[in-house]
Amino acid sequence: MKTKFLRILSSFLLMVAFGFTVQAQSISGTVTDENGVPLPGATVLVQGTQNGVSTDFDGNYLINASSGDVLVFSFVGYTSQSLVASSVTLNVSLSPDNALAEVVVTALGVKRNVKAVGYSITQVDGSELSSNKTSNAINALQGKVAGVMVTGSAMGAKGSSRVVIRGSSSLTGDNQPLYVIDGITINNSNLGSAGMWGGADYGDGISSINPDEIESVTVLKGGAAAALYGSRASNGVIIINTKTGAGAEGVGVEFNSTTQFDMVNLSLRDTQEIYGQGRDFSKLSDNIDNYQAWGPRMDGSMITQWDGVSRKYSLQPSALEAYYRTGETYTNTVAVSTSGKNSNTRFSMSNMANTDIVPNSSLNRNSFGINNSNKYGDKITVDINMKYVIEGQEGNPQMSDAPGNGNFSANLFAPSLNVMDMMGEGGLGRNADLTEFRISDSSYSQNPWFAAYNFINSSDKERFIGAINARWDVADFLYLRGRIGGDRYTNSKQNSTPWGTAFQPKGSMSESEQTYRQYDADMFIGTDNLQVIDDVSLTAFAGIGTNNQQYEAYSVSGSDFIVPFLLNVGNTKNQGHGYSIWEKQINSAYGSAELGFDDWAYLTVTARNDWFSTLSQKDKVAPNNDLYTSASLSLVLSDALDLGETISFLKLRGGISQVAGGASDPYALSLSYGIYGQGHLGASLGNISGGTIPNSEITPFEKNETEFGMDLRLFDNKLSIDATYYDNETLGDIVGVSASATSGYGSALANLGNISNKGIELLIKGTLIQTEDFAWNASINYTNNTSKVVATNDAGGNISMDEPRSRNITVTHIVGEKYGALYGSSFVRDASGSIVHEMVNGIPLPKIGDRKILGFGVAPTQLGIGTSFRYKDFNGSLLFEGKSGGQVYSGTNAYLKRNGHHKITVPAGGREAGFVPTGVMADGSKITTSIPAAQQEDYWRRSYSIAEQDVVDADYMRLRSLSIGYNIPSDKLEGTFISKASISLIGRNLFFLSNSVDNLDPESAYNAGNSAGLEYFALPVPRTIGLNVNLKF
Amino acid sequence: MKKILLTFFALSLVLSSCEFDKGFEEMNVNPSKASQLDVANKFASVVLQTSGGRYENWRASLIYQSVMIQHFSAVAGYWSGDKYYRNDAYATSLWDRYYPSAVKEIEDIRAQLTAEGNTGSEMGMTRILRVFIYSRLTDLHGDVPYSEAGQGYINGILKPKYDAQKDIYMDFLKELEEAVAQIGASTTLGVSDLVFQGDTAKWKAWGNSMMLRLAMRLSKVDAATAQAWAEKAAPNTMTSNDHIAMIAHTDGPEGINKNGHGEVFDADSNPRMSKTFVDWLKDDPRLPILAARRSDGSTAIADLIGMPNGSTGVTVPDTSIYAEPNRNVITGRAVPMVLQTYAEVRLLKAEMAQRGWSVTGSAQAHYDAGVKAAMQMLSGIYPNAAAITDDEVTAYLAAKPYDASKGLQMIGEQYWAATLLNEYEAFSNWRRTGFPVLTPTNDPGNVTGGTIPRRLIYPTGEGSTNKENYDAANARQGENNFTTRVWWDK
Repeated sequence: MKTKFLRILSSFLLMVAFGFTVQAQSISGTVTDENGVPLPGATVLVQGTQNGVSTDFDGNYLINASSGDVLVFSFVGYTSQSLVASSVTLNVSLSPDNALAEVVVTALGVKRNVKAVGYSITQVDGSELSSNKTSNAINALQGKVAGVMVTGSAMGAKGSSRVVIRGSSSLTGDNQPLYVIDGITINNSNLGSAGMWGGADYGDGISSINPDEIESVTVLKGGAAAALYGSRASNGVIIINTKTGAGAEGVGVEFNSTTQFDMVNLSLRDTQEIYGQGRDFSKLSDNIDNYQAWGPRMDGSMITQWDGVSRKYSLQPSALEAYYRTGETYTNTVAVSTSGKNSNTRFSMSNMANTDIVPNSSLNRNSFGINNSNKYGDKITVDINMKYVIEGQEGNPQMSDAPGNGNFSANLFAPSLNVMDMMGEGGLGRNADLTEFRISDSSYSQNPWFAAYNFINSSDKERFIGAINARWDVADFLYLRGRIGGDRYTNSKQNSTPWGTAFQPKGSMSESEQTYRQYDADMFIGTDNLQVIDDVSLTAFAGIGTNNQQYEAYSVSGSDFIVPFLLNVGNTKNQGHGYSIWEKQINSAYGSAELGFDDWAYLTVTARNDWFSTLSQKDKVAPNNDLYTSASLSLVLSDALDLGETISFLKLRGGISQVAGGASDPYALSLSYGIYGQGHLGASLGNISGGTIPNSEITPFEKNETEFGMDLRLFDNKLSIDATYYDNETLGDIVGVSASATSGYGSALANLGNISNKGIELLIKGTLIQTEDFAWNASINYTNNTSKVVATNDAGGNISMDEPRSRNITVTHIVGEKYGALYGSSFVRDASGSIVHEMVNGIPLPKIGDRKILGFGVAPTQLGIGTSFRYKDFNGSLLFEGKSGGQVYSGTNAYLKRNGHHKITVPAGGREAGFVPTGVMADGSKITTSIPAAQQEDYWRRSYSIAEQDVVDADYMRLRSLSIGYNIPSDKLEGTFISKASISLIGRNLFFLSNSVDNLDPESAYNAGNSAGLEYFALPVPRTIGLNVNLKF
Repeated sequence: MKKILLTFFALSLVLSSCEFDKGFEEMNVNPSKASQLDVANKFASVVLQTSGGRYENWRASLIYQSVMIQHFSAVAGYWSGDKYYRNDAYATSLWDRYYPSAVKEIEDIRAQLTAEGNTGSEMGMTRILRVFIYSRLTDLHGDVPYSEAGQGYINGILKPKYDAQKDIYMDFLKELEEAVAQIGASTTLGVSDLVFQGDTAKWKAWGNSMMLRLAMRLSKVDAATAQAWAEKAAPNTMTSNDHIAMIAHTDGPEGINKNGHGEVFDADSNPRMSKTFVDWLKDDPRLPILAARRSDGSTAIADLIGMPNGSTGVTVPDTSIYAEPNRNVITGRAVPMVLQTYAEVRLLKAEMAQRGWSVTGSAQAHYDAGVKAAMQMLSGIYPNAAAITDDEVTAYLAAKPYDASKGLQMIGEQYWAATLLNEYEAFSNWRRTGFPVLTPTNDPGNVTGGTIPRRLIYPTGEGSTNKENYDAANARQGENNFTTRVWWDK
């Protein structure tokens, strides 16, 4: 193995050298369509080699070829032409190809003609992710692909992303797709996130990928498309291929630079600015109840404030504006490509340097990538892909619960207080003795400056992703392919609650290191496009594979620093340590066969059997493996029948599929015990590990899906409509059935979950104007998914997911309802729906009712409307994106009401005029009591307990992205060493066309987990503007 | 075509000869966990879980009970018990923590001992501790899961029924009687026994003392049963302060090792001594041990002023002038957590005598001994507490001699003073006896109609995870609020 690798490496180095020395004749020309309009991006290839180039924006190309070589000109939707290189100038006009020779990458990297594919598949060009980039590359897919919901979150630049394809198919397990990068699956685990009790996000696996390196993204949405990836593909697959050196002329150098600025969108915040700090309509002199805005009107009089300093009782600058800063992100990528007759190589280096909107929070990522492809003789091709990423994160902001969360405080300061007065010594939120400069009487609410500058949440990550793919064409009808690849990372985290923190005066810290290793190996044998008999072709393969994952983590922690601010666990009085390890593996055997009839009808069948280590145990009776199959059919009616001139292309497709999956966690089949802590007075401490009741007879779950679709293209492909209907159901989902805490456990593992999703995906694309100087395209994509929880456990009980810190609402799966109900305390209402009140101390307060379904956290509908234009050398694009039909529990608004900030707490005529609640008294009488100003806070403090008040629709439509670009004409670059240059202005999240949530971005979740629909003091979602420069040499 | 078929045939032969799950059974065994542990490795854990973590000691014990019962008072709004506010998470914190830890672990140990055929000391000790754990839960909430609780794995019960408190109490008393009887002269638990370090005689005394405590709890609802069990328990209870049931703590290395109350005081500067309590402690030698002025730590009697319950930032602009729990003495992280004291036992016996029930010794003798034990135990529990001398005790009793005409009140008040920082017991005994007579606070935000709560509420989440049983319990006991009384309080 080692020698083989060395041989491959040395030949690869030789090829690189070769790329620098190649000499050949230059041939140039223009590729146009049948009307003479230039075709940018057409491919020109020297036949039988990998030497190829793309035409530029004006359809021009320049290629090195020897006299007598055959040049192949091709462009999607056009018939390819082959011409012998007989002169130095070759102009070519291509004519449209109704038969469409589009090729798509499908499961396991198999390239197939789009005609033959019997399921929905979407490809997105890499430039769409790199030109208007997001710090987590995958977020740029937002609103672009029908059926794919990318949910933004409010976790800052380092935040994880939530991607769900065709609805959530598991009640409690992972619902995010499998990511396959250059043929190798990668780990997309969240490396830390905030929960009910707070915490910080450390990003996910996909966030390591450099957007500038992405060539294309292919989304395999359904089971029929993804079945060959096996159990891990039950949530769909996102295949990312990175850029290669193919098509480079000699040595090509490309430089891309993006500068972006993030700014808090203050226009969303609309709170009352009339009443200042205080309680019971009185000022609080010399008191640090700083979150309460229940004081009298701000009158400009002098008052002794929380810190003993006398200041004006008047409106102060917005704490959000003062606390958050402008975030800056600089992404610079240099890539060197070279291409020779039998090889091509691309090497890239990239740096992303980010300072987040939260003070003292930053991210720095260096990525290195090398992709090399070599052909040995006619029969063997070897591709090597390697990525190495070093990432450092500092000052990751804490979210959700108040402790250590600067966002919590910044949102809640009374309008008469100035957050700049709270900066303390050196602006670090400290007193002179280095303890926290307290801004609240609750030790659990931190001075935001202290939180930002003294709490430590940082990480250093090193990651290596590497893959070797080899293909050997054994005979003209038979090939053998093998691949081996791995994803390995080490993540070192440091966390500290600093010395002097109000709730932990002596502080604490921890250091931990997680190492994750995953390898995949596959070998398969197959045949391509074999004519079995006349008019019947066969494309088939069969193979075996394995996926092994290992994880090991160490941690040391300590509390009570001996020397303040000396960050060393050895410098703490009480020390502890932790260790965990796991391993799991899936082995597989699989096969696929595609039969083509007369080039217009295609039938594909697949089968796969997976064996799961997580379902294996001695003496287990139930199976640890499952066989599952899929079949799909594609009928290209436009080839089979004469449909007339209008219809350029019509394909009907349909498929049925099964995918099985195992338990995601190892060791869940039996109860285990552990020794914890460090003992106590000589006694050891042992107890049951884990809060889930194990189940020794768990079997794989199955997901079944049926899909139908249509691909219709009209008017010479100027208008295309792609529509899909799907219906899937997960059976025997492995769920932790909620147990009453009084059972001693939180849940019990069972094969009882059953959830269905059905929906439609629609993509309409149109070329509105297409002339030589002006092109205008538009597209609309629409997704609607209806989920239904069919079964949870034998008794149809609820499955409770997360809850916010207010603890009055839970994301709950309820039989017969949609996925993820927001189930929380409600108002008591009478028969006519009026809110029932009770008289308490002379004022009417709403009664607290039972928990009810108050909404659903997952939006069923997504709409993306995009348009792009090109005028001569200018181009631009806009993407509007919206979601509707979902709800969110806004914990921030709940607090803004409770503490008198929300505008709803100011009745018409002001608080002085009294407040008559809407509703009735318990006896049905109308409320006549007007609550005086001094008692209005009692009303809002009571209604804070009622989650119903703060569950609102999370509908929005926003300008998700905008870019305006200019390509410097090639004639202006003549004589310079630059061959191509473009510049673009970019913007993201610039404004909302509509937003149904008060004061916040509707997508302000504090984690990317399954419990969508909970908002609680995360970061503001910023507006981003920036500049992108691309130079080719 | 033939060649292809042959190739695929050969391939399928190769595949079928592979064993695709080889090594999987071994791989799926956790290399860092055990499949079972000796009880000796589990017992210390359940004892510490019973003492509790910072979480529930903060919320259920201090934020609610200690201020409801007017040992302490607090201005900060989140000290919900001071003004009878509703905070679900705080009110259910003991439930939320006990069931998945102490209850789960004690049921696991009991099942293991049963499976191992253990009918001796270890089983007896386990049963006594088990009764103690559930007694805190039922006294605080009323009807609670008991006979089916903590058995999610053992018997697959995911939704335990709520047993009627009456049935729970009858079982408690039976359990204690049987447990005491089966405890022998020694135990294998030794070092794991963080309560009595393997002294089984002390366990027997504690078992009987718990029987006395729980029997007396029934005095209001069923005096005859209370009397019968109290008389059965009384002869064999604790006999000195050496018998106090308490759990030793250390200041670290981890949270589990520390006294949960101590961790709270470390993090929370809000609690003050209640005016009610400080006023009652006038001329009591315990006052300067228990209290110190917040601003400067002074324990001079003249500096020790209690803060009224129900105070707000408006009524009390500066809380530092008031006395707080003495941070040099009672708030440490390494001080023991007290479960039951000898002083309580003597005061309960004083009550028995006062009620005319059969007990050796007069009401006054028991009362005097109870007061003396309560005063002198402090230096045994808290290393920094000055010892109260016999003379000081005598002087105190001389100044405030037992007066049978208000005997129950005097006993109740002394019991209240003796159970500082055992707030569960203080709250229960106040509800049963009505002493001390407390004046409720009446903050506009209260949810009790201006009365001191009679229980803490159930987690409303039970309405989702255990609906039928939860609904049945509420139907039987009364609305899930703070004023519904538990069975023995009716």
